Formats: sequence, C-alpha cells, structure tokens
Amino acid sequence: MWNMFRGKPSSREVAKGRLHLVLAHDRVGLEGGKLQEMRREIAAVISRYVPIDLDAVEVQIETKSRATELRVSSPLPARGGG
Amino acid sequence: MGRSIVITSGKGGVGKTTTTANLGAAIAQLGMSVVLIDADIGLRNLDVVMGLENRIVYHVVDVVQRKCAVQKALIKDRRLDNLWLLPASQTDDKDAVTPDDMRKLVGELKAAHDYVLIDCPAGIEQGFKNAIAGADEAVVVATPEVSSIRDADRVVGLLAAQDIPTRLIVNRISAHMVKKGDMLSQADVIEILALELIGAVPLDEHVVASTNKGMPAVLEGKSSAAREFTRIARRVVGLDTDAERETGGGWFSRIGRALGFSSATAA
Repeated sequence: MWNMFRGKPSSREVAKGRLHLVLAHDRVGLEGGKLQEMRREIAAVISRYVPIDLDAVEVQIETKSRATELRVSSPLPARGGG
Repeated sequence: MGRSIVITSGKGGVGKTTTTANLGAAIAQLGMSVVLIDADIGLRNLDVVMGLENRIVYHVVDVVQRKCAVQKALIKDRRLDNLWLLPASQTDDKDAVTPDDMRKLVGELKAAHDYVLIDCPAGIEQGFKNAIAGADEAVVVATPEVSSIRDADRVVGLLAAQDIPTRLIVNRISAHMVKKGDMLSQADVIEILALELIGAVPLDEHVVASTNKGMPAVLEGKSSAAREFTRIARRVVGLDTDAERETGGGWFSRIGRALGFSSATAA
C-alpha cells in the first residue's frame, strides 16, 4: 500500500489506511473471525467444482464512497491440469 | 415553516454543543429566528456554553410533561434579537422524553421560528433517537481523528436509515498538522465519510476562552473559528450558493484498485 507514497508513511496516511479497513468491517458487520469462516466456506464451494488451492482463495471487503463490495478471488488450475 | 437541524457526531467531545451554539448564534445574526434545543437530558451543556445557565426556570422535560407551555421554557438570549434556548433537564435521564414527544415539540417550534437546532447527545441510544426524531436534516460534526470518524460513520449510516439528509462539519482542524502529515485533512475526512462538507472549523484557542466566559465565539467575532461558523451559517441559510462544494467521490478507492491494491481486507 505504501508504494504510492515516498518513504515512510506519515501518521496521516496510516490513519487513512486503517480507517478504510475498520470502516469496511464496521459497515458490513463482519468481524475478523466470521470473515475467515466465510472464506473457508467459499473456498470449499469452489473446490467442489474446480480443484483449487484452498489457501489461495482471497476474500476482500472494499469500500467505495458509501458502497461496500465483497470480492472473491481464486487462482484456477490450467485447463486439463489438476 | 422553519427547518429543524440536528447536530450530531456519535463520539463525545468533538464539538456538537459548541457548533450548535455558534451556528445558532451566527444564523440569528443573519436575521433569522433561531431556537436551540439541548437534547442531552441529564448532561446538559448548551446552557453553560451559551452563558445562560443562571436563567433556567423550565426545561424540555417540563414542556413534554405539560408542566408549562414551551414559550415559558424558552430563554431569550439578550445579546441577539432572535435567539432562544430550550434547556435540557439535569435531573432526569434520556427516557423522560420519547421520539414522538420530540417530533411534536420540534414541530411546534418550527411553526413559529425559522430554524430549530437540536444539540444531540453523544452515543446512538435513546438520547440520539430522541434528538433525530424531529429533525428535517442533520449535520455531523467530526474531528480529523480515527475514533471520531469511525463513530461519525456509524451515525451517518443510522441517519441514512431514517432518510435524514446529512452534511458534514470537520472541527478542530490544524493546517499546520495536516501539512506535517500528522493530521487527516478535510479532504481525507470527506472522502472517507462521503458527505457534503459545509465547513471546516480550525482548531482555535478562542473557542476555549469564549466558552469559559459563556460567550459563543461568533458573538465576539474576531477568531478564525468564528469566521468559519459565520461562513457555515451563510451556507446553511442559502446565502452563499456559489460556495465551493466538496463531496467524497471514492477517489482513493478507485486509484487503489487501478494500482492493484485496494482499501481492502484480505482473508
């Protein structure tokens, strides 16, 4: 995250980053533990259709203005591979 | 028919009461008829910030319990022609009044005045629910600090759920600290909360001194905080329609995603 800013981030930049994360969670009402649970279940569902690396599944909550989005990403195996 | 505006924040101590007092006085200075309601039952402070603490005879709970007409409880500020205070009770608690009581009371005052400003208590419980009940619109006061912004965000969500149009005042901003990178800027706060900004009040020692004297800073006129409250008052009443409007547009989040990182939590 800090490659956008030169050198060590200022406390202002740190605050901004922390607030985005905190508010993403606050707005959705998902505490850390629940997010992990959701991630595990989503990974399990994907793996029923496609063999994947369960640990490589990422679940992200993003805020844009006041809208919040859930993003799931998972690397998929090459076709014909396993 | 007047407009009712609730001044709220979630977090305590960020300047709701100071803002209510100064914004109210500044709007009255523009010639409008203004009533300030202290909705912080049990922990009243608007009276002391206004310097009217020795003139309280009746308060909002008396009015709601019909012990007196609202006119008897209103304290007329002698420094201006058209500013009144309806004080809170200091001995009751937040359950002494219901949201319906507030709606009726504010409605009655709106019929006779141009502006009714409601000083909301800190928190999001009964006191908050009472304070927003009669409000046509809301002003959220936030300082450029993590805890204040977090609480403000929660309040913004609650106000949106009640369809109360909400705008933002950033309070106690220090240009010097922002420049040094030690304080969030008003643009940062706008971007995070995604609200329309109506003013950014600078950190100003005059505010402390004037509160000590029970004299809202705008009545003394000379400080930078006073000037900003006056500017905000002009915005609120619609005198400055060409004032620069700043709204959050999710700039940070959009840039973030383009560069391959985002304000996100990875699980």
